[in-house]
Amino acid sequence: MPAKKTQKETLKTALHESLISFDDAVVWKDEKSVLIYGNLKGKRVPSRILEEFIQESVRKGARDIQIIADGQHGIGGRIYPQGETVRFTIEGPVGQRCGSMGMFGTEILVKGGVSDDVGWLNCGAKITVLGDVTNGAWNAAAQGILYVQGSGGARCDTMTKHNPRFDPPQSWYFRDVGDSFAEFKAGGIAVICGINPRNRRSVLGYRPCVGMVGGIIYFRGKIDGYSERDVKLLDISEQDWQWLSLNLETFLKAIDRMDYYHELTKNPIEWHKLVPYTPQERRQKRWFKISMEDFRKNYWEENVGKGGIFAEYLDHELTVIPYIVTGEYRRFKPVWANEKYAPPCAYSCPTHIPTHKRTALIRLGKIKEAIELVLEYSPLPATVCGMICPNLCMQACTRGRIDEPISVKELGKVTAQLPPPKKAKPTGNKVAVIGAGPAGMSVAWQLSLKGHDVTIYEATDKIGGKIELCIPEHRLNKEILHLEIERFKEVVPDIRLNTKVTVEMFEKIYKENAFVVIAVGAHKPRKIPFPGSEHTISAYEFLRAINEGKSFDLKDKKVVIIGAGNVGMDAAVEAFLLGATSVTAVDIQKPAAFGAELNYAKQKGVEIIWPKFTEKYVPEEKKIYFKDGTNFDADFVIMAIGDMPDLDFIPPQIHTEKGWVVINEFFQTSNPKVFAIGDVTALGLVTHAIGHGRLLAEYLHGELMHAPITRDLRQRIPYEKIKLDYYERCRATSSLEQEAERCLSCGSCRDCHMCEITCYWGAIKRIEKPDGRYEYVVDENKCIACGFCVGICPCGVWEMVENI
Amino acid sequence: MEPANGLKLDYNHALTIKEFPYIIRWREDRCKRCGQCTAVCPNGAIKPTVKYMRVIESGGDTPKPKPVRRIIHVIEQVNNIENYCTGCAVCALVCPNNAIEPEYNPQNKFLFYKNLGGEGYKRGGRRNDPGVSTLDRIKFTRISMLTDPALDAGRHEFRVRSYIGRILPPEELPLKVEDGRLVVDKTRGKFIPPVREIFPIMIGSMSIGALSPYMWEGLAMGVAYLNEVEGIPVVMCSGEGGFPPRLLKSRYVKYFILQIASGYFGWDSIIHTLPYMTEDPAAIEIKYGQGAKPGDGGLLMAPKVIKLIAEIRGVPMYVDLPSPPTHQTKYSIEEAVMKMIQSMSMAFGFRVPVYPKISGTRTSKAVLNNLARNPYAAALCIDGEDGGTGAAYNVSLDKMGHPIASNIRECYLDLVKQGKQNELPLIAAGGIGKKGNLAANTAALIMLGASAVAIGKYIMQATADCLGDEWNRCNLCNTGKCPRGITTQDPKLYRRLNPDKIAERVVEIFKAADVELRKIFAPMGRSTELPIGMSDGLSIDDKAMAERLEISYAC
Repeated sequence: MPAKKTQKETLKTALHESLISFDDAVVWKDEKSVLIYGNLKGKRVPSRILEEFIQESVRKGARDIQIIADGQHGIGGRIYPQGETVRFTIEGPVGQRCGSMGMFGTEILVKGGVSDDVGWLNCGAKITVLGDVTNGAWNAAAQGILYVQGSGGARCDTMTKHNPRFDPPQSWYFRDVGDSFAEFKAGGIAVICGINPRNRRSVLGYRPCVGMVGGIIYFRGKIDGYSERDVKLLDISEQDWQWLSLNLETFLKAIDRMDYYHELTKNPIEWHKLVPYTPQERRQKRWFKISMEDFRKNYWEENVGKGGIFAEYLDHELTVIPYIVTGEYRRFKPVWANEKYAPPCAYSCPTHIPTHKRTALIRLGKIKEAIELVLEYSPLPATVCGMICPNLCMQACTRGRIDEPISVKELGKVTAQLPPPKKAKPTGNKVAVIGAGPAGMSVAWQLSLKGHDVTIYEATDKIGGKIELCIPEHRLNKEILHLEIERFKEVVPDIRLNTKVTVEMFEKIYKENAFVVIAVGAHKPRKIPFPGSEHTISAYEFLRAINEGKSFDLKDKKVVIIGAGNVGMDAAVEAFLLGATSVTAVDIQKPAAFGAELNYAKQKGVEIIWPKFTEKYVPEEKKIYFKDGTNFDADFVIMAIGDMPDLDFIPPQIHTEKGWVVINEFFQTSNPKVFAIGDVTALGLVTHAIGHGRLLAEYLHGELMHAPITRDLRQRIPYEKIKLDYYERCRATSSLEQEAERCLSCGSCRDCHMCEITCYWGAIKRIEKPDGRYEYVVDENKCIACGFCVGICPCGVWEMVENI
Repeated sequence: MEPANGLKLDYNHALTIKEFPYIIRWREDRCKRCGQCTAVCPNGAIKPTVKYMRVIESGGDTPKPKPVRRIIHVIEQVNNIENYCTGCAVCALVCPNNAIEPEYNPQNKFLFYKNLGGEGYKRGGRRNDPGVSTLDRIKFTRISMLTDPALDAGRHEFRVRSYIGRILPPEELPLKVEDGRLVVDKTRGKFIPPVREIFPIMIGSMSIGALSPYMWEGLAMGVAYLNEVEGIPVVMCSGEGGFPPRLLKSRYVKYFILQIASGYFGWDSIIHTLPYMTEDPAAIEIKYGQGAKPGDGGLLMAPKVIKLIAEIRGVPMYVDLPSPPTHQTKYSIEEAVMKMIQSMSMAFGFRVPVYPKISGTRTSKAVLNNLARNPYAAALCIDGEDGGTGAAYNVSLDKMGHPIASNIRECYLDLVKQGKQNELPLIAAGGIGKKGNLAANTAALIMLGASAVAIGKYIMQATADCLGDEWNRCNLCNTGKCPRGITTQDPKLYRRLNPDKIAERVVEIFKAADVELRKIFAPMGRSTELPIGMSDGLSIDDKAMAERLEISYAC
């Protein structure tokens, strides 16, 4: 016997009610063998006592322990390895968790069935059950071996482990196992031989392997499903078979069923194994039983038709496109829309003089061409653009948003000496123009340049109309005007001065010409018939008289001008020049005067007062009275409220309204052969009259030559399209070249290559054409329609449009 | 008034960028000016432009100033309310250098100006309210800890199933025993209403037209996969925009609920196809209202009515398609219920459940009681205020409607009073999964009394990463410019979607929801039938809400 045995000679253990003597329950057969009764004289030994007796017996040297059990819990477990094998043979009803926490060196033979959880948390014991194991057998076993001669209950082999320090646990079932087998199995080998299974549908019961992550299950016979998301079903390999056939023998011997060896090993095909997916495999699987692509092709489209449920309505390829796309997939595309918009200068100029084209020519060194270009638009550029025009082009000029507008005055002035442009071949068409004012000159100039035969009828002895007659010399260098009139006469030789057209003459002219243009202007001053108005003078008469060399004695006089428009301002300046001490201009509304006229008059000291409604003028008192009860001293009163046309000569078929000739958008009167332009249709600026003339000439030319009439209907470019940030402020310029550099070239490509260089995708190329022109083009297969070209173009040429 | 003499106006009446809901953060130091951001921006909110930098350099040992002009090209946010940045962040998505992203501006005064032109602000999406919804405050507090058999969601089998259809109480079922088996006793001539077993989460009504063809087909294919491959009986409602004949004639139609609404679009096509159908649809939904925009109708803008939409809806191309807020021939509950339910039941030989959908309202009990008396009424769907829509007035979205939780609860309790709680299923919708808690919101509604829930916006967010949220991000659905390709009819946009991927996500979402529902129901000890109305399992951390919902208060 081992030495420890001397510690306690006799052990009497107390139970709640009674004492059970160790010696009564434990019968030594020899030094190493004991028989332990689990029931003494009909009285069951409690599990706690039996456990103590077993442990004591082992301590005392017992290595072969036979137990007549009576349902005690956990028999045979927790025997420390003693350096030699401790064998248990258990008979009688065995309680739960037989052999639980069993250790290496322990061998348990149960001569019948066992209750639940046999081999629970087994750490090395070898347990042989010559009967069935009920629910939960081998639960959480980590090492050791379980041999079962019968079947397993539900939830066998769940939570089993494999600690790499030891061999994996093995569990062998001769027949079959119950439901929920091997749940959460994390290691160990299970073998189910499938002999005479209780559950004929499945030797592994219902839903085995849920949550199984490790180990292996060999089985023979039918199964009815398993947890497919956890494990895969495989045939057994050669190595599997070798291991199985070798170990089957040991198992069958242990359970005394060697006679089945042949049946179990005759056909490896009967055997299969279930192994868990590796973590890597799990991640890859993503649990799609069929890939969606396969489902679409083989199920969905099989049933709803090729291309899916909408294919019959979709006219595009059924494919996927990326977010960043080129070519036809772009939602938008950039367009090099050169000259698509009118620049503000040309748009605002009634004559549409393209200043931007002139600056572009200068930038190209073609100064002569640049200067000459204007004569295609106006016969009087030096006079009008250069002197008297308020230059609406400059008011609109985008450059004015940076510093100062492009100086069109300079561009105009340098044209005075230019020779006339070459006329086209004579066409033989005859057109009569009545009136040699700016409107009449303009239309005659244009038509003559185009080769038509123009006759001008002028009532006075001068060419130039109001420019010559009414614009004071302080605003107009007559020498320049006369130079331009000479040039005009070279182009339009047939000018009949001192020819006031009468009704009869009009009839004759009408018959002799293809078209008649009425351009007589407005030379009949309007007057307000207040008491004393007969003692006033109209601005028209006043200015014309001065221009014709007459004079007025205004020295030390106080002058009042009724009407504070630009004509009023011209009159005011003249009054000052004639020696007036004060000039006061009144108006019934916010004065319309602006530009040079206003500035000059203000410099001279004109006082503008509004609103003032004139009541009467009393020359005796030299006072003018207003309806608000106030009055001013007035030695001299000029009425500057505009002029009306003198239309005595026109036949009644030509409609007028309130004294003005009615025209349509093509300047056509109610008589289709007769046209009217300039002040005869409504009061305007000289540049308006010239613009009318040019536009009408284009129309008439189209009519005469039966050619299509092209009109510039372009919109003004939105200012925000022009990128001002490229330009530095520079107010002082001295040369045409510098002026041309300042021009922003609105809406017109200045060929700076900015787009080409900026485009990240290299999609923009500059292409030179055989005729010397160029364009920037987009490579559709590179462009992603980011809009950089649009956003950074200095001139606002690029535009983004929908890519349809 | 005119500008003062000689002056040009500059910033007059221009908004500052702080008025805008999202502000573009652009980093010059990272940008390589490739323009991918401007190429994808759906609203023209950013544009490349030119800036002039003036730098004074001073070289040498003494101050020697030299001004240097530097022109740089930048990406700039457009200061124009029409081209506002919606915060969709597609720019950030495509930027290779992380140089750009929109940032939410909580100080924005967007609504003050989003009525330019005298037209109320219209958008898609749903109520802008980032707060925590009632559904998200509900907790599941009755945990089976040793007191009941503990269930394992991963191990045990669950029946996460529900029903659409009128369920007769056992005593009313015309059954008899024949040869030891229960069979229907046809001699009694009693009508047995059609009932469908479904997964308790369905995909709610989103029309073809509201959704792009790729998106709709992706969802439909996912639903078919779930049914046919995964065995999860998810159904999807068509929305009001017709139904593709190819699908109508296929066997998959049984997984779809056909919707009829006030516009009746596409129904003539459906009727023409009826004789060729081999399967009945899952159900018919009659839409009376939409939770997102009660009283606001639908309008499919003419540019969206391309060939596909025109043919499916049975209308000419490029015309406006209004769906009025009300049905034009039904002015009372009685009329609506009697006429519509009868007609639609009759169309399918009384073999298909027919139910109405209304928007959440304080009057929903009145509708419910009417339906309870109608033997043909198969269910009642109530759509709460947090539902989504493709197009509505902002005011309807933000301010109209009723939250779903108490609405469904009072209806359920009303049924309980009548003893009919297991007979007329209630379908809840509107804001389920608003914060991503699909299964939890679903379970809460089920335990408050719903038999099933319908999801829309969630499915778009979770399948196709719809960018919309309660901070008014994106929400461009009504414009047809959806940068994801979900709510657009422009092939250049919707072809960004891969229907296969949408379908895959549908499958993943429902499989995950199935697991998550078990994870809720298992610890509460339920595995066989849905815990409909099992309100003793719920708590909320607000006393007033607890009282209103008649559930316990826990804190």
